[in-house]
Amino acid sequence: MGDYIRYAMKRLGQFVLVVFIGVNLAYVITHATPIDPVEQSISASTSFGNAAPEAIAEMRRSLEELYGLKGSWSEQYLAFWSRVIRGDFGPSMSAFPTPVSSLIARAMPWTIGLLVTSTIITWALGNYLGALAGYHQRSRALKAFGLAAMGLHPVPYYIVALVLLIVFGYVWPILPISGGAAMNMPQGWNWPYVASVLKHSALPALSLILIGLGSWFLGMRSLVSNIITDDHVVYAEIGGVDRRRILRSYVMRNALAPQLTGLAMSLGGIFNGAVITEKVFGYPGVGTLLVDAVYAGDYGLVLGVTTVSIVGVSLGVLIIDLIYPLIDPRVQVD
Amino acid sequence: MSAAPILQVRNLRAAFRTHHFGVRRDVPAVDDISFDVRANEIYGLAGESSSGKTTLIKTIAGVIKPPLELVGGSARFAFLPDCESLAQASPAAVAAIRWSKLAYIMQGSMNVLNPVRRIGKTFEDFALRHIGSAGDFQQRVEAHLQRVRLEPSVLRSYPHELSGGMRQRVTIALATICAPDFIIADEPTTALDVIVQKDVLAMMRDIQGAMGASILFVTHDMGVHAALTDRLGIMYAGRLVEEAPTDVIFRGALHPYTRHLIASLPRIGDRSERKSLTGVPPNLANAPPGCRFHPRCPLAVDICRVQAPAMTELATQHRVACHVVTGEAA
Repeated sequence: MGDYIRYAMKRLGQFVLVVFIGVNLAYVITHATPIDPVEQSISASTSFGNAAPEAIAEMRRSLEELYGLKGSWSEQYLAFWSRVIRGDFGPSMSAFPTPVSSLIARAMPWTIGLLVTSTIITWALGNYLGALAGYHQRSRALKAFGLAAMGLHPVPYYIVALVLLIVFGYVWPILPISGGAAMNMPQGWNWPYVASVLKHSALPALSLILIGLGSWFLGMRSLVSNIITDDHVVYAEIGGVDRRRILRSYVMRNALAPQLTGLAMSLGGIFNGAVITEKVFGYPGVGTLLVDAVYAGDYGLVLGVTTVSIVGVSLGVLIIDLIYPLIDPRVQVD
Repeated sequence: MSAAPILQVRNLRAAFRTHHFGVRRDVPAVDDISFDVRANEIYGLAGESSSGKTTLIKTIAGVIKPPLELVGGSARFAFLPDCESLAQASPAAVAAIRWSKLAYIMQGSMNVLNPVRRIGKTFEDFALRHIGSAGDFQQRVEAHLQRVRLEPSVLRSYPHELSGGMRQRVTIALATICAPDFIIADEPTTALDVIVQKDVLAMMRDIQGAMGASILFVTHDMGVHAALTDRLGIMYAGRLVEEAPTDVIFRGALHPYTRHLIASLPRIGDRSERKSLTGVPPNLANAPPGCRFHPRCPLAVDICRVQAPAMTELATQHRVACHVVTGEAA
């Protein structure tokens, strides 16, 4: 167990390092943009009339403080980190004076709910069908599915999304085409509201599943068709081991480790939101927030979303690293 | 030694069959092989690499997959008398005898254990349905492991935590846990160093003696055959060319190929140079007509180039397939 703790500490150290470097990069890049939020705010609020120069100077001072642009470069940098650690990214410029953190907190449940569900469904379904297709290579149904997956795979995502919108929004209008839930409904844990959320998430989730299924399916199928020629699988067949047991414990279990890494990567990646999905389906998640922030030059918000996403991806990888020795006993923990 | 055979192989043929653009090609890897394995006997199969040893025993064990196909003949086990060969038997019938009657030790058997499954679980997968309840089973496996000098703790280990020799012993314990009537062993000791090899062979001997199984033992290593097997069949290019009790093969082989094989073995104190046969084993996709050994045979005469010699019993328990030796050439 001592070995495992040392291993966990090492991975934790890597996590901290990755987050630190990533957030620094995001800081440098956003600060290198030609947008000056202070000047933008001032010009926005003075465009409808004249203001006294003293008032403008006063305003500039307080805005600089608000946006963390006060003092020398190194003072700004240190202040930035002390605020990041407290989860404070300052006020949003485009939605002034709402804090960036509460904008992200408002959008995050939508993104997490939609993307975690669809990612896990896609992963589980794609891998299960892929494993079956690799194991039962003569099954016609699975062969047909493989062809369909291969055919759908190269179709650009936005085409699939638009086709779904047209089919289920106009041709056969049974699903809502935009928004996260019905507008006129009080939010809460009651059935009508939850049903409305589920209904609104059906099309975006379906589009993500359709486009994501193929790559998991094809990846797992080729993994499995390699594994079934491995000695331990052939030996289990000669040993008369139950076929279902062979598929589960000898084939899928061995293919699981690399696929689980992939799952962690894509789960970590959802913190950026699915930008195109959220835009196409008007979904109120982090992706929409990020795109709007970029258009509005709201760099506090961009930096906030980026930081959360960096932490999210790294956390996903960290968690997988921590449970990996349990999945594959051959991984040495020292 | 006159017990009824537990395995009767008759005119067995198997080929690697490929179809490309409507053209069928057969590579006859097992060609017209007949032999018996008796109860309680260790029968050795020898021959150089690619002589069809593994293909033969895979066909006998019914574990062939396309492109390898059974072409004809039979391989009948005494415990499944209604069944011409396992390759044609119903899956249920085969599943019933797998591991309880027929066990198999695979080539490279150090690497046949599932890397992500504890050894104990593997034992359950292979044997639990044949032997008693779970509680009983644990005790029986632990007792059986002692026969191959393994601690019960290996049951909680993963394969990668054991040494090669230990894994080898695990597979031998795994193959013998159900006390099968028949064990097929394909080069089980080839990857081991000679010290471990000696141990493993002694262990197989002991277990076979104690449990009374028949073993079909395949290796190209003549030293192993000398130490272990009761009778020996020599294969060349997919055919059986000679069969006799092991000591007879070593002292009085008749077939020119077998004689060369024996002469090539080093002997202590003998410093003379070992002669190599000219030529290489034939490509079975384009096998020579007649006796497949004739292009390399120092005794070859005309008939050898035309007609394949049949296995002929020249002395008690001694069969040879050679025109010259049986005198048909004259």
